[in-house]
Amino acid sequence: MIDCMKHSSYWLINVRLETGYQYYNRIITGTDTSIFHILIENGKYAKIVPESTLINDDVIKYDAQKWLLLPTFKEMHIHIDKTYYGGPWKAVTPAKSIFDRFAEEKELLPQLLPTAKERAEQILDLLIGFGSTHVRTHVNIDPVVGLKNLEASLEALQTFSGKVSSEIVAFPQHGLLHSGVESLVREALNNGATHVGGVDPHSVDGNIEKSLDTIIEMAVDTNSEVDIHIHDRDHLGLFTMSRLADLTEQAGLHNKVTVSHAFGFAGIPDTKAAELAERFANLGIAITTTVPIGKIIMPLPLLKEKGVQVSLGTDSLTDHWSPFGNGDNLEKAGRLAELYGYVDEWSLSQSLGFITGGKTPLNKQGKQVWPVIGDDADMNLVKASCSAEAVARRATREAVFYKGTLLSGSLSL
Amino acid sequence: MYNLFLLNTYHKESGDTMSLNYWLTNVCLEKGYRYEHGAVTGTETENCHLLVESGKIAKIVTADTLLDDHLPKQDVHNLLALPSFTEKHVHLDKTLLGDNWRAVTPVASIFERFEIEKRVLPSLPTTTSVRAKALIEVLLQAGSTHIRTHVDIYQEAGLKNFFEVQEALSAYEGKLSYEIVAFPQHGLLRNNCADLVRDAVRNGAGLVGGVDPANVDGNMEKSLQQMMDIAVEGNADIDLHLHDPGQLGLATIRRLAKLTEEAGWQGRVAVSHAFALGDMGKGEADEMAQMLSKLGISIITSVPIGRTIPPVSFLHDKGVQVAVACDNIFDSWSPFGNGDILERASRLAELSGRSTEQKLAETLGFITGGITPLDKNGQQVWPKVGDEASIVFTEASCSAEAIARRSNRPAVLYRGKLVSGGFTKG
Repeated sequence: MIDCMKHSSYWLINVRLETGYQYYNRIITGTDTSIFHILIENGKYAKIVPESTLINDDVIKYDAQKWLLLPTFKEMHIHIDKTYYGGPWKAVTPAKSIFDRFAEEKELLPQLLPTAKERAEQILDLLIGFGSTHVRTHVNIDPVVGLKNLEASLEALQTFSGKVSSEIVAFPQHGLLHSGVESLVREALNNGATHVGGVDPHSVDGNIEKSLDTIIEMAVDTNSEVDIHIHDRDHLGLFTMSRLADLTEQAGLHNKVTVSHAFGFAGIPDTKAAELAERFANLGIAITTTVPIGKIIMPLPLLKEKGVQVSLGTDSLTDHWSPFGNGDNLEKAGRLAELYGYVDEWSLSQSLGFITGGKTPLNKQGKQVWPVIGDDADMNLVKASCSAEAVARRATREAVFYKGTLLSGSLSL
Repeated sequence: MYNLFLLNTYHKESGDTMSLNYWLTNVCLEKGYRYEHGAVTGTETENCHLLVESGKIAKIVTADTLLDDHLPKQDVHNLLALPSFTEKHVHLDKTLLGDNWRAVTPVASIFERFEIEKRVLPSLPTTTSVRAKALIEVLLQAGSTHIRTHVDIYQEAGLKNFFEVQEALSAYEGKLSYEIVAFPQHGLLRNNCADLVRDAVRNGAGLVGGVDPANVDGNMEKSLQQMMDIAVEGNADIDLHLHDPGQLGLATIRRLAKLTEEAGWQGRVAVSHAFALGDMGKGEADEMAQMLSKLGISIITSVPIGRTIPPVSFLHDKGVQVAVACDNIFDSWSPFGNGDILERASRLAELSGRSTEQKLAETLGFITGGITPLDKNGQQVWPKVGDEASIVFTEASCSAEAIARRSNRPAVLYRGKLVSGGFTKG
């Protein structure tokens, strides 16, 4: 058992890194790996040398036991501020509409408040154990809890300072306009929130134009980014997203806007979806999805192909919206692969990028592109022979590091 | 550390492995639903002691009862008892578990897949039996104490895989129950393997299999009839893989139903996958469900994602027996699958929107052969005195939580015997 935090530099020896793809009849059939020793200095990769290299310095060495090294994961959509996780089991109560759910929240959120910080910490702990070291959380900004969920989340994230990087979306769950929380959201943005949130400009706010305008305006005013929940379906969702693209372009918010869920891409002709996807790619509007498996199947391969940045998130982690969700982003990537038939070595291997902000040890052509000297040592040691196996077989994570610091798991000298 | 006396029961002589009687103490049992405003909002449980005699539950008393006999006691520390699970569709002969990683090779047709699998399996350094045992262990850990496995029967392999799987399963005699489907993966007609399938039935296969009578065998009528003939002749049940979609698949099911009725094979026929049922129009759905229900034809689904699956809730409500199963677990067909049937049930719940207490709790029935601790009205119906002590001990407060949260299962009992895990207090 080690505490890497105590050493400003150390060798991680016997690390398995991917070095290229194997080909048979010009088809990729496997992944080549080799064993390396990696010097970590001040939380960054300082040296990477082949297994045969004799290390004769006095720097302390930890043995990675030939486990595979992967980038750490990014949890890009979760609500750490409202959950049953860590508390007693509770199923979901039936609701006829999203407004019933809001009514439920008015009663429920004050009840959850006393345990909000503690449960948020338990979720962060869970996420780290699964290998995620970046978290984008939405926090409710609504007339009932005001900024209290934000405060609880900030405190929980403070506890994990130096262990995860984070972004906080000021999320007007009950409608930015519908619940009249514009000034509260502005206040949140001045008090630690990094993103303006929103939800269904039509179905919840009842005014697509004004809702989107307000969001974009606030983002510009406060120099914040945007992450909007858009569940509105098919052509309505598509129209809403298309207006969002217009406003993003006008405001110059390129690369600063995310649409979560983005159901409008599903259930419409591919040509329409492709058209908006191209716009999103050009404007750097990203998509975050939970990889739904029920009635809505998102055209994620199409979005990816068009160059849209697609990230994955857990969303509900057992709460009043859904009893499912377990915080394991590698499992989420495996689900994505299964859903879209990514069963061959290359597809499985590349699908890791959905949960790492695009980082994969091998690029599309099979060239080793990770880890890079000078980068932060955010790394997962997993029990797998390659990325493809890790994704398909949901490899166990033996050790998780953030900026060179061991957060979860253990290693021996 | 608490398991010694249970382990002793494995080694008793004369095959009478369950003669040791003992108490399971502090067992959490579901007792009824909790209601608010007429709606189920939670599950009530009660801690009990269960007397196990000869592998069966002989007495159930509340945990405050003083046990003044000298029988051994196994404290289960308030873990929730669930009926052990039934794995209705796996391929023990196909899995690559226990062997090196390999991804799936893309193919243009199912026939190419046959050829790849036929080539790969014999080339592996591990044996079928070793890999089958690795999978059986995984299934037991998940809580499955009954396994229905298909085994490929085709000219090139003969009964080799069948005998190896049989050997692997016989090593688990007393730890689980099982049934083997003689499965002509490469087509009963197409591969001309009817005699081999007959041979497998004579050698212990309890079911005759089949695959896509139309699109694989190319002759729906002859394929179905031959399958039915072999089943009747060998007094075997039937489990047909049917991927054929739409009206073609529905026609196949209707013909199979007719043959089932003519042969008097009610209650003995299953259709695996049955994707076509997902394509039924409103008008034909009722009729189809009624027919399946009347003839006791059951449906088995592995809950694949990204494609149409049978309308499980509808069929269940119409009285059709539906089972959820794992199917592929890391093989030449799929790199996914982990043998955790509780996770599969959870997936079904998630994709079909079963997220309330009662809907989640009911979902358990799809992996237990229909047994749930509480019935629809919240009456406790399991366990009862006389039931087999085949129990999954679960770190959950109720069935609903176990399904939604895929709760840990520290210990699995089969007919009173510990077959996986243990009761050390965590």
